[in-house]
Amino acid sequence: MLSNTGNFLLSLNIFLSALIIYYSYNNLKTSDNLISKKVFKISILQSTSILICFFTLVSAFLVSDFSLITVYQNSHSLKPIFYKISGTWGNHEGSLLLWVIILTLFSFLFLIYNRKHPKNYRLYTLIIQNFLILGFLFFILLNSNPFSFISPPPSEGLGLNPILQDPALAIHPPLLYVGFVGSSIYFSAAIASMITNYSDKSFAKSIKSWVLISWSFQTLGILVGSIWAYYELGWGGFWFWDPVENASLLPWFAMTALLHSLLVLERRNVLYFWSIILCLLTFVLSVMGTFLVRSGILNSVHTFANDPTRGIYILVFLSLMILVSVYILFSKYKPASIEINSNSKETFVLVNNWFMLFYLITVLLGTLYPIFTDAISNNKISVGPPFYNSVIIPVVVIFLFFMAIGPNAKWIKNKFIDLKIYSFIILAAIFFNFIIFFFFKSYSIISNLIVISSLFLILSSIMDLFKKINFNFPRVISHLSFGFLILFIGLNHNFSIEKDFNLKIGETKQIDNFKFHLKDLKLIQDTNYKAVVGSLKVNDLLTKEERVLKPEIRIYDNPQTLTYEASIQTNFIRDYYLTMSNIDRSDYYNIKFQKKPLMIWIWISVAMLSLGGFLSLFRHAKNN
Amino acid sequence: MKIKLLCLVIFFNFSVYATSNEILNESQIHKNLRCLVCQGQSIADSNSDFAQTLKMVVKDLIKQGKTEDEIYNFLSEKYGDWILYKPKFNYENFLLWSFPYLVLVFGGFIIVFLIKRRQKKT
Repeated sequence: MLSNTGNFLLSLNIFLSALIIYYSYNNLKTSDNLISKKVFKISILQSTSILICFFTLVSAFLVSDFSLITVYQNSHSLKPIFYKISGTWGNHEGSLLLWVIILTLFSFLFLIYNRKHPKNYRLYTLIIQNFLILGFLFFILLNSNPFSFISPPPSEGLGLNPILQDPALAIHPPLLYVGFVGSSIYFSAAIASMITNYSDKSFAKSIKSWVLISWSFQTLGILVGSIWAYYELGWGGFWFWDPVENASLLPWFAMTALLHSLLVLERRNVLYFWSIILCLLTFVLSVMGTFLVRSGILNSVHTFANDPTRGIYILVFLSLMILVSVYILFSKYKPASIEINSNSKETFVLVNNWFMLFYLITVLLGTLYPIFTDAISNNKISVGPPFYNSVIIPVVVIFLFFMAIGPNAKWIKNKFIDLKIYSFIILAAIFFNFIIFFFFKSYSIISNLIVISSLFLILSSIMDLFKKINFNFPRVISHLSFGFLILFIGLNHNFSIEKDFNLKIGETKQIDNFKFHLKDLKLIQDTNYKAVVGSLKVNDLLTKEERVLKPEIRIYDNPQTLTYEASIQTNFIRDYYLTMSNIDRSDYYNIKFQKKPLMIWIWISVAMLSLGGFLSLFRHAKNN
Repeated sequence: MKIKLLCLVIFFNFSVYATSNEILNESQIHKNLRCLVCQGQSIADSNSDFAQTLKMVVKDLIKQGKTEDEIYNFLSEKYGDWILYKPKFNYENFLLWSFPYLVLVFGGFIIVFLIKRRQKKT
């Protein structure tokens, strides 16, 4: 029954999208200045029906209707309700439905929130957005239908991968999707703007909110994903430069560049085509990321869904998107005279874009390069954290200095850079660096530079907080928290302590300044897993701190999986991170212990970074 | 005067660190080696038998007095380049290592070009 309802609603949505394209197209030629009521009505209907379609799938998961293949493969009747719901988008088919929902809702919201802008520009945006919606609806219906059914229905489902049964991972996809699927709307708007020659400041105004929304959510989505990786994957890191992580970072770089170039377009009416390219690039990168992840072309921790036929469809869709947008771009391109002074805000925005593009290309190249070498010379290589760290980190140092100075430059022409203040700040930064150095002992030269440059950014942003003129609070918050982010990552990276050893019950071991004692092991039974819980006393002999950590080895029933749950004890100064695993044919347990300084501040910094985006959004909404 | 002071402080800052030379770091090497039986983990992060064995091998090689590069060469001959997270700088990976910096330099030129054009006009 649910299968039929779902399929009907999907088909209805295809019909409605086609109808919107048809009516919008007809509406273009009318001399009337208003968009016809019909378009609005169908848009409302479209959004409603896609939401109902989604809730149909959610309810199929809730009642465990195993006649649907997707539910059968990804759910289980004994799973907690919360994870039954989040299971809806924890798989390929359901997450694509989430894609289409966001495409549709953004299409509708853009239509109703941009009344001030010209009719044809809005209509073309709607038309292009609906072509995207159609593309994904056909993909769902033909290839990845969440409503496909099996007959006879199996009596029990296979269950959701236990490492995905987690609150952070339940909200991770929706956040991230609002981010990068949300970028579709300015992809459409950019094409519409080129077609209708609506290219001045007001174009920048019309898409700014959407860029801010997607940027802020993308930032949050990446944050939640990292937190999940930190406590769930059990190795104590939060970023591995894994292809799937990179796929979420690439659109973020493009969005960040766009966010800054829009400032120039909005104020000075230059950089129009450059902003358009960034609009197009952001969504192209988002779809490309999806292609890389879903086609299984890359080896990654996250490849939860891969199947070559999906890859081909997305690849064709992606190529069409690129071809069309590049064609329109070339046919509309007019060389514009970009006139900027060396010492002006415009230049600094360009500098931001320059670095963002460098990061983007580095990460893109690193992600794709193994595919090329594999295809060309049959040699599989890995491009991992050491590559990105050594290529990107030195450049970040310079970037942070620009990031500190840039925002204080004036538009058009700046008089001078206040060398006195900046040399004072750099002296202060070096001074603080010394304090940190004596506190923590040695670290490498590059880490020094990172600490100094991030302190430079932090100090100058703090000074900006006290400025009366040109005060832009959201900007200061974001720049300040980015400085803190880099600082905390640097300190955390350099001063984490790792101990790896074996213990058996009742044994005590002292390694350097730490004393470990494995008190006992308990067997517990939860609704959907059994677990061995260890009680491990950790004594820090230097700080006289004593903590009991409880790492777990879990055995999930459906599907049968063994996972190692880290025990984490967080406070504002440091995290204790401990995992325990059994060693075959031995009564010893392997213990990995990490003391990670300032961990929680990394999360707080990213949350603040995103907050800056939201604040800026409210500011923009209030002023317009 | 101020500039001189600034230079002095910066110079002092780095002369302190230059003396603290790094010794061959075992866990640094672990982080650069892929655990071949896991999905996207280095052997430093993995508990698998493969990772444990490889850690022993690395320990042995260090004992034999091998340098970091020699260890990587030894392992990549045995298991292929797939095992190294930091790709070697060779013919095949030349583009990977150099292209980002080419972009950086090129981008810098464009910005300088835009500014110069403006300066000529005024």
